[in-house]
Amino acid sequence: MPRAPRGLTLLQAQRWAGTLTAAFGFLACAVSGEMGPAMTALFPLAVAGSAVAGRRFHGRMQWGWTVLLVGALLVLGVQVFAGQIDIILAAALFAELLCIHRLWHRRTERDELLLLLLALLLLCAGAALSAEVTFGFAFLAFAVSGTWALALTHLRFAIEEGRGPAGSAALLNSRRVATPALLGGLAALAFFGIAGAALIFLTFPRVTIGGLRRASRPAPIAGLGDRVDLSRHGTVADDPRVILRVRLDPAPRGEPRDLAMHWRARTLSQWTGHGWQSPDGGLIPVLRLPQRPPRGRGVPSVLSADIEVVGQFTDGVVFTPEGWPLGVDFRQPGTPRPAARRLYRNAAGDLFYQPVDSGDVRYSVVADTDEPDPARVRGRGQRYPSWVEADLAVPASLDARVRALAERLGAGKDPADAAAAVERWLATALRYTRDLPGDVADPIADFLFVRRAGHCELFSSAMVLMLRSLGIPARNVTGYFGGRRTDAGYYAVRAGDAHSWVEVYFPMRGTCVSTRRLPPSAGAGRRGSRRGWCSSGTAFSRGGARSWSTTISYRRRRRCGGSVSSSTRPDGGWPERTAAPGGCVG
Amino acid sequence: MTPAWKRRLSFTRMGRWYTGLTIGIGLAATNTGNNLLFLVLGLLLASIIVSGILSEQSLRGVRVERRLPSVATAGQPALIGLQARNGKRRAPSFSLEIRERGGDVAGHGFLVLLPAAQSAEVAYRFVPQRRGLHRFEQIEVATRAPFGLFEKSRPMDAPAELVVFPREVPAPPLVGRTLARDGERPEDRIGLGLEVHSLRDHRPGEDARSIHWRSSARAGRLIAVDREQERRKRVCVVLDQRPLRGEALERAVEHAAALVSRELDGGAEVSLALAGAFLPAGSGEAQRYAALRLLALLGAGGDGLGAPEPDAEGSVLQVRG
Repeated sequence: MPRAPRGLTLLQAQRWAGTLTAAFGFLACAVSGEMGPAMTALFPLAVAGSAVAGRRFHGRMQWGWTVLLVGALLVLGVQVFAGQIDIILAAALFAELLCIHRLWHRRTERDELLLLLLALLLLCAGAALSAEVTFGFAFLAFAVSGTWALALTHLRFAIEEGRGPAGSAALLNSRRVATPALLGGLAALAFFGIAGAALIFLTFPRVTIGGLRRASRPAPIAGLGDRVDLSRHGTVADDPRVILRVRLDPAPRGEPRDLAMHWRARTLSQWTGHGWQSPDGGLIPVLRLPQRPPRGRGVPSVLSADIEVVGQFTDGVVFTPEGWPLGVDFRQPGTPRPAARRLYRNAAGDLFYQPVDSGDVRYSVVADTDEPDPARVRGRGQRYPSWVEADLAVPASLDARVRALAERLGAGKDPADAAAAVERWLATALRYTRDLPGDVADPIADFLFVRRAGHCELFSSAMVLMLRSLGIPARNVTGYFGGRRTDAGYYAVRAGDAHSWVEVYFPMRGTCVSTRRLPPSAGAGRRGSRRGWCSSGTAFSRGGARSWSTTISYRRRRRCGGSVSSSTRPDGGWPERTAAPGGCVG
Repeated sequence: MTPAWKRRLSFTRMGRWYTGLTIGIGLAATNTGNNLLFLVLGLLLASIIVSGILSEQSLRGVRVERRLPSVATAGQPALIGLQARNGKRRAPSFSLEIRERGGDVAGHGFLVLLPAAQSAEVAYRFVPQRRGLHRFEQIEVATRAPFGLFEKSRPMDAPAELVVFPREVPAPPLVGRTLARDGERPEDRIGLGLEVHSLRDHRPGEDARSIHWRSSARAGRLIAVDREQERRKRVCVVLDQRPLRGEALERAVEHAAALVSRELDGGAEVSLALAGAFLPAGSGEAQRYAALRLLALLGAGGDGLGAPEPDAEGSVLQVRG
C-alpha cells in the first residue's frame, strides 16, 4: 500500500508563504526599533490569531475593522501633522495595521495580492528606517518567502481559474505539488533574484535628485543648514532616518550601544536677530590640514572614523568626529585612484568638499582625540586676537535682562569659570521642550525669562549671547550627536540626532572649549527607554551627572596669525577643527 | 505567417501594482539616495527580469495542435482538443494557458506542467450557437509563470474550419406529396425481395432454396422461383430557401435537418433538394453527413437560383419557412 505523501498542500503552502512574507516585511521594519513595543508585539499576536481563528472571522465585523483603520489613519495623520511622528514611521505603522487586517481576511486572489503588496511596503519602510544588519536578514528572508508567495499564489489562482472550483480542489489539496523540490527550486530562484539585486545595486547609477525632499519636520533643526531660525512654530520631531554610518578605529572603549560623540558640521556665528547664520566668505582649497601644536606629551591618541554619509544628507559638508582633525581622505579603501573630491574650508574652519554630486559619500577622517587639561584654560585672561571680534559681537537689541543675567552668573570670574557657570545655570534652571516658541520678538529673552523652556538651539544661542555679553568669544556650532551601534559593527547616526552646541575660545594658543551639559538631540529618546519629551529629561540628567572636566573638551587651534583663510581673515578663524560636544537639541 | 519569435506581453493586475510600486520605489530611492531602497529596487527589478526569462523559457519549444471533432451540432457541446508538446529536452514548461485567438471560436485549456520532451492534451468545451462554418485562426500559448506579474504569449498560426450542423429539433409532422407510394416497393426486375417475379426450370447446381416446391410437385420437375428486386423507401426533402431570411430560414433548415435524420434513421433513402443544389438519394451515415453539411452551409438569399427540383422517384417532404 503506497504511503500517503506528507507535507503541505498547495493551499497551505501558499497561505504560509504569504504569512511569512508579511512577517519578514514587518521584521524589516521592526528591527529599526522605531515602531514601539505595542505595535511590535501586536503583529506576531495578530499572525498567531489569524492562523487559529482567521477563517472564522473572514467577512465579519467589517464595520469594526473599518472604524479601527480609519481611526488609526486619523490619529497617525494628526500626529504627522503635529510633527510628533515621522511620516515614514506613520506610514509603516498604518501599513502594519492594513497587513494585520488582510491577514484576517484572506480568501480571494485580491486579498492575497494586497497582503503581498503591503508586505513590500513594510520592507520599503524598513529600508528607510533601519540601519541594522538584521534588516539584511529580513531582506533575504523576504526575498525567499516573497518568491514562494508570488509563485504559489499565481499557481493557486491559475489552477482555480483554469480548472474551476470543482476541478481544482483535488490539485489544491494535493500534497504532491508544493513539494520540497518545488520550494527548493523557488528558493534557488529567489537567490537568482538576490544576485540580480546585488548586480543592479552595484551597477545602477545611484543618483540623488533630492527635488522631492519631504518636510520631515515642521521646524528647522541643527545639523546641516547654514541658517537657524529660532522663531519657528511647531514641535521638534524625531527623525529616525539614518544619515551617517560610522566605523571607528579604534573602537570605543567597551563598544557601547550608544555612542556619545559629536559629529561637527558647521559654524553659525552671525546673529540675525531671530537666529544664526554662517559667516560670510568663500571656500578655499585645503591641501593639508594644519597639524596640532605640540603639547609636550607622549604619542597622541588618534581616532580614525570611516564615515559614509547618506546622499540626501551630504550637502557638501564634511562631518568630523571630536578631536583635532589631522586628515580627510576621500579615497575608497583599496582604490589607488586619486580621489575625485577635493577638500575646502571656510573662514570658520568648517570643512567642505567639492564637487557635490548625488549619492552617498564616503570618506575617512583621522583626528587627534587628546583633550588638554581643563585647568590649563584658566587664568589665560581676556586678551583676544582681532580675528575673534566677530565672535564677540553682541547684538544691540540684546535684552538688558540677558546681559544682567550673564553678569550675575559670570562677572568677575575667569572666562572658563564663567562659561561653566552659564552652562550650569542653563542646564539646571531651564527646561527642555520640543515645542517651538513661534514668532516672538526676542526669542532669547522669551526663552530665558518667559517660557523658561526651549529646544537645543535656544540653549546654545542663549549661552553664546550671554558669553559674548561677558566679553568671551563664543559661537554656535551644529552637527549631530550620538550613534547607535548596529549588528554590522558600525554606528548609525540618525537625522533625529541633529544637534547644536557652543564653542568657547580661550587665548591659549587657540584653545576652544565646547559645552556638553545642555540637552542633547531629539533622537536621544530613541536611545533611552522612553520616548518623546521624557527622553530629553533622561539625557539631561545624564549630562548633569558628568563632571565638568569630562563634559567639556578642549581643542587648541593652530597658532594665531596662520596662513589660513587669508582671503577673508588673514589671521585665520577659530580652532581648526573643534569638534566639540555640547548640548543643544535640534 | 506569424514568426516564431513574436511575443505579446501584458500586465496582470498584480503586475500593474508591482510595476507601479517598483517605479515609486525607484523614484524614492533616486530622490533620497537611500542605499537600502536601492537594494529593494534591485530585488524588484531582478524579479521582473527573472520573470521575463522564465516565462520565455516556458513558452519556447512548445508546439500545439488542435484536434477538431468530426461532428459538431449547434447548441450541443463539443470538445476541442489541444495537444501540446514540449520540444525542449530538459526544461519543463509551467503554467501554460493554451487558447484560441482570432477566428470564430473562443476557448482555452490550462496545463500546470508540461514536462520536457513530453506531450499533454487539454480540451475545452465549445457550444456553437449557430450552424455553419466556424473558422479557427491562431492558437496562443500564454504563461504567467513564475510570479503572475505579466502574461507573455506566443501566437501560432493554426487555421482550421469546423462545419457545425443545424440545431437538433423534433421533426415536424409533414405530409408528403403523393408522388410515390410510401414504404418499400417492388421493382420489375429480378432481385432479392420477397415477392415472386417468375417461375422457371431449376438449373443444376442452383441453390435448393430457390426451388418452388408446390409448382415442382404440380409439374413433376424441379421448378425454381425468381424473386423481385425490392427498393427502399425513397424520400426527398425539399427546401426552397430563397424567400427565407433570418429566423425563418434557421427554423426551416433545422426542420429539414430533422426530417433528413428521421428518414435516414427509418431506413429510407433520402435526397435533398434545395434551391440551386441537389443531393442525390442515399442512405447511411455518409448521406446524413452530406445532407447536414449541405444544410449547415446553406445561406440566405439566392434569388437567382433555380427552384428546388425534387427527386421524381421519391416521396417529397416539403419544408416551409
